[in-house]
Amino acid sequence: MARGKQVDKSGEMLQGTLDMLVLRTLVTGDAHGHTIAKVIERTSEDVLEVEQGSLYPALHRLEDRGWVSSYWGASENNRKAKFYRLTAAGRKQLVAETSRWRQMARAIGLVMGEDMLSGQ
Amino acid sequence: MSLRRYFRRRHWDAERVQEFEAHIQNEIDDNLARGMSREVARRQAYLKFGNPARVREEIWKMNSIAPLENLLRDGRYAWRTLLRNPGYALVAVLTLGLGIGANTAIFTVINGVLLRPLPYAESRQILHLDQVAARLSPDPIGFSVQEIRDYREQNHVFSDLAEYHSMTFTLLGTKNPERVATGVVSANYFDVLGVKPVLGRLITPADESLNAPPVLVLTYAYWMKEFGGDRKIVGRAFEMNDRVHTVVGVLPPLPEYPEANDVYMPTTSCPSRSSEKMIADRDMRMMTGFARLKPGVTAAQARADLAAIQNRLAIAYPKSYPASAGTAALVTPVEQELTHAARPTFLTLLGAAGLVLLLACANLANLALSRQMRRSREMAIRMATGASQWNVFRQLLTESMMVALAGGVLGVGIAAAGSKVLIAYAARMTPLSGEIRLDGWVLLFGFGISLLAGLLFGTLPGYVASRVRITSLADAGERSAGSEGGTKVRNALVAAQVMFSFVLLMCAGLMLRSLYNLLSVDPGFKASNVLSMQTSLNWTKYKKDEDKRNFFHQVLERAGALPGAEAAAVSMSVPLNSDMGPMSGGVIVEGQPVHPGEPTPQVDYEVASPDYFRVLGVPVLSGRSFFDSDTAQAPAVAVVNERMAKHYWPTQSAVGHRISVDKGKTWTTVVGVVSNVRQYGLEKEAADSIYFPLYQVDLTSAHLLVRTRSDPMRMANQVTSIIHDVDPQQPVTQIRTLDELRSAQLGTPKVTAILLGLFAMVALFITIVGVSGTLALSVARRSKEIGIRIALGATKEKILGNVLARGMAPVLAGLAVGVVAAIFATRLLANLLFAVGPDDPLTFAGIVALLLVVAMAGCVIPARRAVSVDPMKALRTE
Repeated sequence: MARGKQVDKSGEMLQGTLDMLVLRTLVTGDAHGHTIAKVIERTSEDVLEVEQGSLYPALHRLEDRGWVSSYWGASENNRKAKFYRLTAAGRKQLVAETSRWRQMARAIGLVMGEDMLSGQ
Repeated sequence: MSLRRYFRRRHWDAERVQEFEAHIQNEIDDNLARGMSREVARRQAYLKFGNPARVREEIWKMNSIAPLENLLRDGRYAWRTLLRNPGYALVAVLTLGLGIGANTAIFTVINGVLLRPLPYAESRQILHLDQVAARLSPDPIGFSVQEIRDYREQNHVFSDLAEYHSMTFTLLGTKNPERVATGVVSANYFDVLGVKPVLGRLITPADESLNAPPVLVLTYAYWMKEFGGDRKIVGRAFEMNDRVHTVVGVLPPLPEYPEANDVYMPTTSCPSRSSEKMIADRDMRMMTGFARLKPGVTAAQARADLAAIQNRLAIAYPKSYPASAGTAALVTPVEQELTHAARPTFLTLLGAAGLVLLLACANLANLALSRQMRRSREMAIRMATGASQWNVFRQLLTESMMVALAGGVLGVGIAAAGSKVLIAYAARMTPLSGEIRLDGWVLLFGFGISLLAGLLFGTLPGYVASRVRITSLADAGERSAGSEGGTKVRNALVAAQVMFSFVLLMCAGLMLRSLYNLLSVDPGFKASNVLSMQTSLNWTKYKKDEDKRNFFHQVLERAGALPGAEAAAVSMSVPLNSDMGPMSGGVIVEGQPVHPGEPTPQVDYEVASPDYFRVLGVPVLSGRSFFDSDTAQAPAVAVVNERMAKHYWPTQSAVGHRISVDKGKTWTTVVGVVSNVRQYGLEKEAADSIYFPLYQVDLTSAHLLVRTRSDPMRMANQVTSIIHDVDPQQPVTQIRTLDELRSAQLGTPKVTAILLGLFAMVALFITIVGVSGTLALSVARRSKEIGIRIALGATKEKILGNVLARGMAPVLAGLAVGVVAAIFATRLLANLLFAVGPDDPLTFAGIVALLLVVAMAGCVIPARRAVSVDPMKALRTE
């Protein structure tokens, strides 16, 4: 925090969090790695600028757990790309993760207090 | 799951490469669209993605199993290291292979005989019952028909009780008349044992009823041998004891227990068992019993119950159970009976083999340790570049394990090769030898002890190596060839080897002495050039004494007249035939007091034809041998042995005195005294014995003995055809020479002694190599010091003495411990020894001297090298 390296460090954001974001991205439809990275970046207004490579271990893990499945297809500019699809189990997991995340955010908000945050 | 990932990871990695490429291309496209130059677009794309190689690595690691990876890497490295030093690898694998082979081979027997369940259902519940007249003879006397019935009806401990005895009958209907060993059993016999037929059915209660047609059940071995496993055998009829017997079934392969029977029949088919006299007479004992315990009842409870029944019987029938006889029922678990003879021998051998393996491990640890010391620089470098102690330890352990497993493979091979010989050897001691084979348990055992051996000899060098200090890198090569601490460990290992081999040598030495004693026993007869064969008469055919006498007379006359024969004789038993126990009974000597209430003194009864003593070369000490004229019409005569003569007539000649074997009803005159014969085993002293003339007794169980001028076996056919000339239906079995019987007696102790001796020799050899090698290394390490001493004026004798003292110190230490260990270890051997105590001082002294001399010889070579150190050269290497 003190060094102000938040952006670089975002690659190390909580493992579960990245997994959750990836799952969330796939709700709107199948996507390949590049798209997923772009969507996360854009929808977070460029705050969550992941080092794109670190997305892949997360995808591998999700696939290994059966939350996403993958297939080879052609990307929008006609390149061979690996697409990821949310599975039923993945959807369930996303619901669980989301509610957990909401609770956590609320709890942290309560502890920190409104004025504390705005004072920063 | 993780294994699947592990094997898929190469494929996945390839996919990732493609995926990343596509990703980066997309990013470049995007960047180009943003208006970047091609160069910048590429650079930015890579910056944003991060290092693809690192990401691949991360995913690769997610899919790997660290311990397995390490194992494979260690294994590859160990393989290369061993290949670089094939001499060490070869010696190690061979040594271990021998050790593991010996253990696995012995275990194969133990597994088959002692560990594998018997082929009977719930075999622990089966007991063998017998009766003994303890005050008269240690040998069991069996039960009578009435006793079997009483015990069956009155006991509370058995779910069932079956009777058994074995007889030999003549079976007609096969190619030749056959003498078949026949188990005569009650209908429930096979239920008690828990055996099911492989073909047809077994004996049923209906077969055992009085007028049932006689049936036979064949043993598997006889079915195979005689009928080639012909499945049409069921229903075939054979003639036996003048009646037609029909085969109803075939037994599965079973141990030759209680005896090596060929066929089984119900009690009602056996002429002697079903005779009225036998059934009515409580004192005609010939059967033993087999019983199955009720669930939850112990053998001890059964003993108590049978003792209570015995007490009741003794009160009801005081004549049959005189207090002087000490009649009691014997209860032995069948399992124990089948294994007791083999158990001590094979456990001893396993112990010995275990010692050899321990010793081999100690030697290899020593070898690996010295190797390790030479490699300590390598280890120091590895640790300096980041290997942990555990990494180094693991690496060396892998190396040992690899050697050990290779040794294990060799060892199992050796065991497989040797198993045939071992089965033949075990067959002398247990009917279960047919159960011995290399199975999964044996392989598991071989694998297990290989791992154990690898651990044993790999841990120590691994530990020493993992403690290498990085500072040893700075030391000169010479110093790092072994620290003082390492030498201590090595000396301790040498001492351990000496100790193990001393214990082994002691055991082997005792067994050899025992064997020597057995070999030098004078059995009392001359075994060479005597042919023996069993010619037991079919008693339904030879009912009259005269018929028997005619048969024997003709056979003896013709056999004795053969050109190659010196003399021929008929007797009841063949000396040293371990199949038979003595036939004994009471004796009263005329003119000597009889103590009523005390048991009659027991003697062995033998039957002999006139030339018997001449055929066996037994000297007649006084009086005469039997004559042809000693017939039933002539006065009753007998010959006694020397022991009996000295016992009853210590101050005068026995000849002319009278004895009675029927409590004084009839009297027999002693006409001769012969020297003692060990009739029932080399290790059994001759008992008081009386010989009766062939023609004055009723003998059906007979043996023909012929003394020949040359190789007795060459005359076997001639003699057999003479017998068939006299009676074409007379079976002739067990054609052997007395020499064969003698070597059969010596076979078991011989093989035990040879195996133990072999183990001990291997142990001694390994130990001496260890002693010598350790000293050689120490001399090499100290060559500079020795050089300085020589330069300063030490004499050669002094140097020699000093080096020898160093070399012998661990030997002496090991010897001291070994002597103590051997005192305990050899006690376990006591039962296997003949005429030598387990603490025989001569053997102890001999083995100590042997080890000292051989160890000294082993030390001389390195010591000579020490003396020949050139001080100039030694100092210049500084």
